[in-house]
Parts: sequence; C-alpha cells; structure tokens
Amino acid sequence: MKEGLLKITLSNTAPVPRFLLIAVVCLLAMGLEAAGPSPVPARIETDFSKAAPRSVEDLTQRSIARDYSSAWNSLTAALSSNSADALNGYFVGPAKSGLLNAIADQTRLKLQTYYTSSGHKVEAVFYAPEGDVMMLHDTVELDIRLTVDGKAIHEEHVVLRYVVLMTPAADRWVIRQLQAVPQF
Amino acid sequence: MRLIALAFAAIALSQASSAQVAGLRVPDSVVAYRAFSVGTSGSGKASLYLIGPSHSSAQEVELGQEVHFLGDSVARAGRYLVVVCSATCRSESFFVTPAKIASLSLLAHPSRVPVRADNAISAVAFAFDEGENLILTPVAVDFKLTDGGKYLGSRSVATKNGVAWFRTNSGSAAEPVQLAASSGNIVVGRIVRQVAADACNLRVKATRTASGVSLETEPVRDCSGNLVSDGTIVTFTKTDASRQSTVDAPVKQGVARAQMTSLRGVISVASGVVLGNSVRVGE
Repeated sequence: MKEGLLKITLSNTAPVPRFLLIAVVCLLAMGLEAAGPSPVPARIETDFSKAAPRSVEDLTQRSIARDYSSAWNSLTAALSSNSADALNGYFVGPAKSGLLNAIADQTRLKLQTYYTSSGHKVEAVFYAPEGDVMMLHDTVELDIRLTVDGKAIHEEHVVLRYVVLMTPAADRWVIRQLQAVPQF
Repeated sequence: MRLIALAFAAIALSQASSAQVAGLRVPDSVVAYRAFSVGTSGSGKASLYLIGPSHSSAQEVELGQEVHFLGDSVARAGRYLVVVCSATCRSESFFVTPAKIASLSLLAHPSRVPVRADNAISAVAFAFDEGENLILTPVAVDFKLTDGGKYLGSRSVATKNGVAWFRTNSGSAAEPVQLAASSGNIVVGRIVRQVAADACNLRVKATRTASGVSLETEPVRDCSGNLVSDGTIVTFTKTDASRQSTVDAPVKQGVARAQMTSLRGVISVASGVVLGNSVRVGE
C-alpha cells in the first residue's frame, strides 16, 4: 500500500529545471567549503623497535596505533567544531586541560582550526618497566587552516614534531602530554 | 587627461586608507612564562592574533609598532602562530620552550614487594616546569631507596627525552621503605611495602588428641627471617595405606594449625613450592 502511494506521489512531481538543480548543488558545495574540510581519519605509521627499557607487546602496539589515531581524530574534530565533547575521552591531564582552554579561547574569538594530516610517523622511545607509561615521537605532515568568523586568516602546509606521553586508562591508551618541539 | 588624474587620485586614496602589512617579526623562540614582543611594519590598523596550543588571543594593533605580550600568553610549550590581518593576512610562527624545573612526577612500582627480590622495585620520573611542560633538556634526578635512614639503593640519572628511570633490589626486612626522586630542592617520595617472601624451613609438629591429631607449624619465616604474612596458606597432607587427605590452613601470627581425625599415616607440610618435614603418626 505504502509503495503504491509512493509511486503516485513521484508521478505527480513536476520535472525540476536542470539549471536549478545545478545551482542548488553549487550552493551546497560552497556551504560545505566555507564550513571547512571534513576531518580525515589519521593515518599512523608506527615503529616500536627503539622502545626501552621494556619492549612493547604486539597487542599493545596495536592498541597504541589505534588509540593514537582515534585521539588525533577527536582532536581535529574538537578544534574544527570548538566542541569539547568531541575529545571523546582520549585526553587526560595537561593535554586535556590545554585543549579545553584552546577550545574556550577559540569559541570566544570565533576562531576555528582545521587540521588535515598526510600521515603520522610515530616512534616509541620509552616504555616504562611496568608498562604504565609510553613516550612517543610523532612527525606529522599537516595542512593547517585557521578561520575567524568563517573567513580564512592562515593556511600552511607544515611538518610538525610532537613529544607524546600516553598512559593506559580503563579501556584505551590516552594522551597525557602532547607537546610540539622544533626537533627531537 | 581628467580620467587619468582621477585614476591616480583613486590609487593614492586607496593606499592611504587601507593598512599595509609589510612585515612581521617574531622571536626565534620564547621561554614559557616570559614576556616577549612581536614587531610589525606597515601602516594603519590591523587585527593581530596569537594562537598557541592552549591559548589564543586577538587585539587591534597599530602597524609599525611593537606589540608586547605578557608571560601568561605563553604558559604552554609548543608552536605558536602570530597572524596579522588587515586587507590581507600575514603570519609567522615560533616555538615556546619549557622553563626551569618546578616539579617531578614519580611513578613507583610495586606498592608491595617480597624481600630480597632482584630488580623488583622500579621508579620513573618526569621533569616538568611551572606550566606542566615536559622539560626535554637533561635534568639530573637522584633516586634513593631508604629503610629508616639506611640506604638500600641509590643512583643519579640524567633525564633523556624528559624521563629518568631506576631499578633496584628490595631489602631484607619486611617493612615499609621510602623511595624518593629529587632534583635540586624538588623532592617527591613514595612508600613501598616490603613483605615476607616465600616460606623457608617449614616445620610441623603433631600432637595426639582425644579426637585425632593436632598439627601446628613452628613460626613460618622466609629465608631472611621475616614471619610470612597472615593468610599465607599452609597445606597439611596425610597419607596412609588407603588414601590421602589434605587440609589447608591460613597462617595466623606466624603459625598455621589444623586438626586431623585419623590416627595413622605420614603427615607432611607445604606452602607454595616449599616442602617442609614429615611426621609419622600411628600406634
């Protein structure tokens, strides 16, 4: 019965002019562009061979790669939308408080930050004897775009280096420290 | 001619009214919490943004003048952008580096450790400045494990990538010990409780009673002489011609006790992987 009604409805619709359809599509595309690029899942390349004094177990390697990627996804989403909820529980301690402050300032200034990464090269450089903290060096290639009130004020393509501390939480590894450095 | 003159006038007026961002000078690097200045050149008014890892600010500035920032603007180490916008925008970046050490973060494991265990106690220390920035330049950290003033282990380690770590054996006395990490005047400590290790020299004595046999161990001690913890399980096993029976009994105040009804057989005692003596009972 519902299908029959649907068919009747469609047949009663007048044909839409082609130019109107093209105009609507163009307007939608411009709106999406003004909103900023959609966050792309972070691609992570990892190297745990230099981790010491404890070697990193296979399962932990997979967990770190998965959770670090998820953390960056949530960071880019949070800073582009100025939403603290988007951090999704992947940040604690100084890393979390720093991001919350950044989001608050951005909101006040109507500033938005868009990160698009070409990929992260993550190297583990320290893994504690009891396995309760890991230090990573992340070299990431980023496209960064800043907008104020929707208008772009800065765009760049840059390679950044981060020193990262991760600790195990209830069901994931979380970022406790995320500190950009000029070199390792 | 009139049109050309009007065109030149229009160009001159546009140059006078719009701000020109000719240059932007930022420091190569800034130490966290230290005031700094940014130089601008050009003319007219512009908006200046400072964007950092945990702080952003905006202000209207007069181009051609230095813009001063308080140390609070750069509390967090990392990469900062300065963007100046009028008709167009120009930006420069610089890094903020950590200030001097203000705290140590110490992770110590485990909270309870058997005595005389090799490399059983570990400590990891991170050096931070006032703004919770990880200090990545080498910092000397002294680790000490003390038992009432007596050193059980110590080492001075320079941080590498901001971290220093240390491992040592546990002592021989079943009591709390202090694990401390220090750098200059900054000291942070943890308590590690040393507990008795596995039982050593386990001995049982049997006494005939009206209903059977009463079994009691001598005080159960580890190889360092510490009484094992209350609750440590001691297993009494009786073996005779027909069967084997066992009783598990917890240690209380160093001694484990049990009752067995059978009057014949060989009774042995064990705790963990330690086997004690055997006692023959019977008529």
